[in-house]
Amino acid sequence: MNKVIGLVNFHTSPEITPLTDNRPLGSTSFLGRYGICDFALSNLCNSGISTIGLLVKDHQRSILKHIGSMDAWLSNTKIGQEIVMYNEGAHLHPESNTDINNLRENDWVLYDSSIDYIVIVPAHLVMTIDLRPYLREHIERNEKITAIYAHVRSMVDECVGGKILEKDEDGYVSSTRLNDGTIKGAGDVTLGIYIINRITLVEMIHQLLPKNPYMVLSQLIVEGVKSEMFKLHAARFDGFVRAIDSFAHYMEYSLSLLEKKNIDRLFHPDWPIYTLTHDTPPASYGKNASVSNSYIANGAVINGTVINSIIGRDVIIGEGAVVKNSIIFSSSRIGDGAKVENALVDKYAILTHGHGISGAKKSPLYVHQGAML
Amino acid sequence: MKNELIALILAGGKGTRLQALTRKVAKPAVSFGGKYRIIDFVLSNCANSHINHVAVITQFENGSLNNYVGSGKKWGLNGVNTSTALLSPRQTDEGSDWYKGTADAIYANIDYIDSMNPEYVLILSGDHIYSTNYQAMLSLHKKADADCTISVIDVPLEEASRFGILEADEEGRVTAFKEKPKQPKSTLASMGVYIFTWKVLRANLIRDAKDEKSGHDFGHDIIPYMLEHKKRIFVHRFKGYWKDVGTVNSLHQANMDLLNPSLSKELFGSGVAPVYSEDTAAMPQYIGKNGSVADSLINQGAVIMGSVRRCVVSQGVIVDEGAVIDNSVLMPGCHIRKGAKVSYAIVGPDAIVAKDETIKGTADAVVLYSGRGK
Repeated sequence: MNKVIGLVNFHTSPEITPLTDNRPLGSTSFLGRYGICDFALSNLCNSGISTIGLLVKDHQRSILKHIGSMDAWLSNTKIGQEIVMYNEGAHLHPESNTDINNLRENDWVLYDSSIDYIVIVPAHLVMTIDLRPYLREHIERNEKITAIYAHVRSMVDECVGGKILEKDEDGYVSSTRLNDGTIKGAGDVTLGIYIINRITLVEMIHQLLPKNPYMVLSQLIVEGVKSEMFKLHAARFDGFVRAIDSFAHYMEYSLSLLEKKNIDRLFHPDWPIYTLTHDTPPASYGKNASVSNSYIANGAVINGTVINSIIGRDVIIGEGAVVKNSIIFSSSRIGDGAKVENALVDKYAILTHGHGISGAKKSPLYVHQGAML
Repeated sequence: MKNELIALILAGGKGTRLQALTRKVAKPAVSFGGKYRIIDFVLSNCANSHINHVAVITQFENGSLNNYVGSGKKWGLNGVNTSTALLSPRQTDEGSDWYKGTADAIYANIDYIDSMNPEYVLILSGDHIYSTNYQAMLSLHKKADADCTISVIDVPLEEASRFGILEADEEGRVTAFKEKPKQPKSTLASMGVYIFTWKVLRANLIRDAKDEKSGHDFGHDIIPYMLEHKKRIFVHRFKGYWKDVGTVNSLHQANMDLLNPSLSKELFGSGVAPVYSEDTAAMPQYIGKNGSVADSLINQGAVIMGSVRRCVVSQGVIVDEGAVIDNSVLMPGCHIRKGAKVSYAIVGPDAIVAKDETIKGTADAVVLYSGRGK
């Protein structure tokens, strides 16, 4: 079999203040149990890709903490490997901190002649995708680059930041433009998932990058198409996908997964999403607990009321407390009688006895990590 | 390399009193507390006591139990200079035989123990629920210059005849021992947890193996013989929650005990000494729009659309809308269909409780419902 390396790209994740002030979106908590990048990592692992690199942009600390001993997403731990890739030089020159420069820093990927194909997946996509059929098609058609895209019903609301594709009759991309969030209607938008022949990537870097060393991978690909270096093959993904692009969307997408029709499209019994175990006991519900339409993580202690919410690991909800349409990150504590509505409470925060906070549905309130209210 | 203390976990028994739950599964592998299997507790105790070499001695239905224990990775017992051994009866030069008793199970593995070169061995039972650090017991053993230290717990006098009962002097030295006495003279019960100085135990095992009248059992044969021959046997008093889950009722009770917050805090180690277990790649638990959960322990991967009160619920359990469950243990993968009523029951792994079916036990007579598999 051809050798494939998978790369989880943290460079292309948007900054969604205030959630990502101190962490990348990829290692941000999701559904009370996962890090968002668990989807990308599990998709690569379940697709039979054994060597996985993490292209880390910044906040390396947060990513290292989440991936732990680095074998939660490997099948054979001898054959497989998880490698953190980091561009140290970019510390001094943030503008040069791109996915391409990170790969140039970790250039063994580019030189290792045993690697035929590179599959690159953004760290912040919430989706389950079997990459094997795409790889097969890429190899069978003898393509150089395949871009995976989704057909988006409302481009104003979804996949903002992706590239809108126009295709010719052979399925090759004829032109691209940025989905900047102002274009109404439906369209085909790239997800940032690419299958690239290693040799092609090396050629692109050698021939195109000198023009502008700050170009990111997606720009480089557009340049390659323009200069007719290769044809860009576009392959469509039809499943559930959410590209988190704003704080409000993070809340909306998370809470929309409380609906069965959505969760059933995202999770499949034979496509497990792996994550780091924390060995926390099952969630404990007190005598007066009242919970409806919510996800509750292990280690949580629920003594109050929880409605349409996501409760993280080791969270304590006090007696008489009410949490509604909200997300509580791990190890936070909602005191007795406290009220939380349309809010995201970050890790280790404490809402004291009887305190009330509420945001609006369209603009949820954010409580800082470690805050005490 | 020399090792001060290694642990040997006896996990070969059948546990017939758990009925259908142990027909195909060894008792230590029976699920417990929503997330765990019974053997997780002793294995986690070993890990949290920094015992680096653990052997699990298996016999009955050892396939699934051996697979579960595996390399010991789930408990971190697979690191540098750390090992997990699985010791099942095997064919040898002398022939092949099943383990004839608890002592014979250790005797048959003398070669393994010698290869670990331990000063002391800790003998444990794979089917006890408790949380402890064995280092305190070891330091007592060393301080007393003991040949054997037995962990004991105070039991009510009326229950004492179910246990091995000890009498000890002021210094804690054992003066008398009787296995399941009809008229117990003390309430100090042996937990079946021993530390032996390996040299002494080794000699006694070899002697006992040649004794044709012996049942090759620690409680019946080894301890009484050592006591009779003036070996230094001491007690280590265990204070805390300890449960030997032998019957359907006691398994149910031990699960219900976890609903007491101070007990579950003690058992689950308050984050300091957690109980480690298998992490199934389950989704977070979901409580539905019309679901209701109170006074319960619910594991990840459960989907609760009905009403659950005073229950312990495992991963992969589905409770449909309109199902009402109280005072019950729902084991992994079971499905309670619409309108079913379940009370004082243990619903076994992958069992299906049909639509509108009623399963009703009482506090004194818990029903074990093993149903048909999916």
